[in-house]
Amino acid sequence: MKQWFVGLPGPMPLKVVVAAIVVFVALVLLFFVYDWIGTTLLDSGGTIG
Amino acid sequence: MDEPMNNPVEQPTPRSTGVLTRIVRIVGWTSIVVGVLILGFVAQQLFVTTWFAQQNQTALTEEVEERFAAAETTEIEYVPQVSVTNPGDTNAGTGGTIVEGGSGSVTDEDAPLSPQKRSLLVESTPEPGAAFAVIRIPTIDRLKDGWVVVEGVELRNLKNGAGHMPRTPLPGQPGNAVISGHRTTYGAPFHELDELNPGDTIEVDTVLGTHVYEVRETIIVQPSELWVTEPRDGAWLTLTTCHPKFSSRQRLIVFAELIDGPNWETIYA
Repeated sequence: MKQWFVGLPGPMPLKVVVAAIVVFVALVLLFFVYDWIGTTLLDSGGTIG
Repeated sequence: MDEPMNNPVEQPTPRSTGVLTRIVRIVGWTSIVVGVLILGFVAQQLFVTTWFAQQNQTALTEEVEERFAAAETTEIEYVPQVSVTNPGDTNAGTGGTIVEGGSGSVTDEDAPLSPQKRSLLVESTPEPGAAFAVIRIPTIDRLKDGWVVVEGVELRNLKNGAGHMPRTPLPGQPGNAVISGHRTTYGAPFHELDELNPGDTIEVDTVLGTHVYEVRETIIVQPSELWVTEPRDGAWLTLTTCHPKFSSRQRLIVFAELIDGPNWETIYA
């Protein structure tokens, strides 16, 4: 993790911004993956057909 | 003079220590990451989806109140068609017990009048995704204050509220109005639906007024069993949700029959 952060391009403020964007995008993607798993396996809304 | 010292304990070589440490580290970090991902999934399903649903319900409550204030109702002629059937006869093709009494069909206003014709209150069909009703179940805590019903049973509809199945009548109308809802996520409006017993009441507010239904039967079916949505004699409300909790393997179905409301007399008298 630390190595990944250090390896980011640019000065420290840019690294922080890039890291924040990457983390945000990853969380959004994770949300959609969770949502898909949830609606497929746990609770599809109870529809018929 | 100086004798070499014998070390009784054999020390592991640096190489074997490094490999073992690396394996333990990888297993440890993998366990931590998997654990965090699972915790995140549980949190997302139970809390994040519910938070979103509650935010949507707040907005939809305003929307449905606007509809109640603005929507116009219309009276149309309704001809009850009395079908004589065996009380208690269960017909799998039409979805359960067929009752004696008022089945009916909606007719044109210009159709010739007959002595059996009565006035049926109707409302305009809501747009897909629009909030148009509030379902309330006094015996279930989370539904005591009501949950907004939207038009449609697409996933995006059901994330906002309970969903009315298109091509089935609106609540309060003759036939079989079908409403679906989440059991464990997105506010889980139908979480305790299995606690309903025959005789419990379900109220649905629409622009026409409050339609009161009484639970007749609760069953478990496969998700593909479309017969539960088919038309029924009289006026019925069918609630569908996932079963068991935390699984979409089956469906819990609640059949309820209209016992009071603006159209009850027209349909059943």
